[in-house]
Amino acid sequence: MAHELPLAGVKILDLMWVMAGPAGTRVLADYGATIVRVESARRVDTARTLQPFFKRKPEPDNSALFQNVNAGKLGISIDLGNETGRSVIHDLVRWADVVTESFSPKAMKAWGLDYASLRQIKPDIIMLSTCLMGQSGPYARFAGFGNLAGAIVGFANLTGWSDRPPAGPFGAYTDYVSPRFTAMAILAALDHRRRTGQGQYIDQSQGEASLHFLGPALLDYTANGRVQTGQGNRDPGMAPHGVYAAAGTDRWAAIAVTNDEHWQALCTAIERADLLRDERFNTVAGRLAHQDTLDAAITAWTKARDPFEIEALLQARGVPAHAVETLHELYTDPQLQHRGHFVEIDHATHGKITIEGSRFRLSRTPARVDRAAPTLGQDNQHVLEEILGYSEEKITELVIAGALE
Amino acid sequence: MLSPYRVLDLTTERGLLCGQILADFGADVIKVEPPGGSPARRLGPFYHDEPHPDRSLYWWAYNRNKRSITLDIRRKEGQTLLKRLLAKTDFFIESDHPGTLADLGLGYADLAALKPALVYVSITPFGQDGPKASYADSDLVILAASGPIVMTGDDDRPPLRISVPQAYLHASAEAVIAALIANHERVRSGMGQHVDVSAQQSVAQATQAYILSAPFGDGGATRMAGGLKVGPLKLSLAWPARDGYVSITFLFGTAFAHFTKRLMHWMCEEGFCDEATRDKDWVAYGGYLFTGGAEAVADYEQLKLLLERFTKSKTKAELLQGALQRGVLIAPVATVDEVVGSEQLAARQYWQEVKHPELQTTIRYPGPFVKYSETPLAYRRRPPLVGEHNREIYMSELGMSERELTDLQSKGVI
Repeated sequence: MAHELPLAGVKILDLMWVMAGPAGTRVLADYGATIVRVESARRVDTARTLQPFFKRKPEPDNSALFQNVNAGKLGISIDLGNETGRSVIHDLVRWADVVTESFSPKAMKAWGLDYASLRQIKPDIIMLSTCLMGQSGPYARFAGFGNLAGAIVGFANLTGWSDRPPAGPFGAYTDYVSPRFTAMAILAALDHRRRTGQGQYIDQSQGEASLHFLGPALLDYTANGRVQTGQGNRDPGMAPHGVYAAAGTDRWAAIAVTNDEHWQALCTAIERADLLRDERFNTVAGRLAHQDTLDAAITAWTKARDPFEIEALLQARGVPAHAVETLHELYTDPQLQHRGHFVEIDHATHGKITIEGSRFRLSRTPARVDRAAPTLGQDNQHVLEEILGYSEEKITELVIAGALE
Repeated sequence: MLSPYRVLDLTTERGLLCGQILADFGADVIKVEPPGGSPARRLGPFYHDEPHPDRSLYWWAYNRNKRSITLDIRRKEGQTLLKRLLAKTDFFIESDHPGTLADLGLGYADLAALKPALVYVSITPFGQDGPKASYADSDLVILAASGPIVMTGDDDRPPLRISVPQAYLHASAEAVIAALIANHERVRSGMGQHVDVSAQQSVAQATQAYILSAPFGDGGATRMAGGLKVGPLKLSLAWPARDGYVSITFLFGTAFAHFTKRLMHWMCEEGFCDEATRDKDWVAYGGYLFTGGAEAVADYEQLKLLLERFTKSKTKAELLQGALQRGVLIAPVATVDEVVGSEQLAARQYWQEVKHPELQTTIRYPGPFVKYSETPLAYRRRPPLVGEHNREIYMSELGMSERELTDLQSKGVI
């Protein structure tokens, strides 16, 4: 018999959109939470407009990102600007344990959907608001995307070559970090409520949460006054350390010599006994002082070899090394395949699609990823009839009032 | 808010953040270090650049709110003692390579036999099994194996990482979620389980689903400084200001058109573009870029020149101020000192002053990752000194005698 999922019985009303918020609740859906996700035709979810697209066609149900962060959720369409629509939201609040939202603070208050109002409806509700820089302060109304928060909190300037302008990390970096804190903040609040009966409000600034991924650089400034900047792929405590050119166009391999043993093994692998004998390179301090020389020696060896051959030869000797896999190669990565990272599921319009599965395993109660992200309003009938117990008549009234747009 | 729980944290430098987050949530987290201190204490930078186990800023960054004991778990006596500590433990976190702790009789099966309710969390580079499970690893190796760096950096240079190591942080934060889900289930079943977290799979989140390019039949994207190349398009998000750089979400289509329209109005008011350019259909422009061929690409490049002239004429602060007033998507590319000096973070009282009495100083730490209305997260303890809580935990809490403790210390077990 199939196991009961860990979060079975947890009910979440999800008013979040784009990536940061929805990625935070996706993992809760994988483990059994019932998530009713509200969308509106009046405001198309930005994630539905982002690449990559199914067969390169930019249509609302084709975005890989949208599919990836909304799998396993129920979809209902409600116009929050419509008073009747908001009455449905009130009923969903009565049903829910948790309400999540990522609107501007002003919008929720104007709709009467702020925490003070929801608490009147359900005193022990847990409500989480997430936005770029938090609910208060001069940037509270700063709408925007994770590339902006990634710039404001320092990731962009810490990614680049010392002789060039900052390159910045790929994409909307805080959107990849902050969802973790969204999910865990909800789980901790649920545990607290179970023990005490107390609900509460959670104000999440995606920028503030993501700063926990820059701890040593922040302390280097607050304790030492040093302003760290992008150092290419170099590491202050390891050498050689870099991404080296392999044979082929734009092919690369990452190599990290984390200790003296790795250095000896690397020299043996690349058949450079002369480097091994050179006393200048015996210690990490010595190797750090001669990185350009060492990088040239390694490149002379790597550039004649396929990146996967480099990985195999160096890993065989215990040296941390890996081909820089292209996006298409990642899909056939033997480790990701072995772990079942990619999951094929049924989709209403595409037949089958492939999304990412859970990023971890629970030995006794593993995730269940078997339901595609909803099309707009796909679950209206189910949510209104089964969850809220509305009559056919009442549902028709909602349609006529334009509440379900 | 998680104060009823106790955590034994045996992680190496890879998994420290997991225990710190649980400690920030209020759990009693005991960092178990080898005698002499965790190897993570040897990682720089150091307070005032003085290498010392109690002055590693890497250690400080990821061990706040924990207590520390020393214990040699490679020794029989050490293993016995660890098992005694298990009685009152809810979570056990480790980040050794698969099988390392099992070889010491401290694997999941060993400990679950003693305490079935234990949630045992393993954080590893590639997960507990599979062809790469025993790979030699590092931050850079995992980034190469999971996608983000192939899309990061200048196109005429190698793929690039963020200069502050990130891979194990993604895994450690994911591990907190996993542990709390397992705990939620344990409340119902009374049973614990083995939580197996792969850093490779965790980091894949940082591809923004571009990792699905192959199964979706999409060509994907390639790297470019400050942006991304999609087919013939060079999408730029980073722009030069008078005194540095700014990030701009300069995109088109239904989701972005209204922001771009406001930006173009601002540029036009200040004479950086004409009205015809300003009044283009910015919704349709998104589609045009992908279907308009060389002409569209050339038009976009022309547009980028206009925007660059505009951003270069202003400081980062002027651009941010205008963006906030006008609802435009511009943010400064902040340096670390600017981040710490941010008016926004100050207004929210984000930074926390933590006392380090033995250094007679106070250090400013990044504050709680979320603000709870009823159970605000508190910084109760600075990161512990090596074995700072040996007496407190072994004697007061485990009931060990002074003599027993001295004996184990002289044998080098503690």
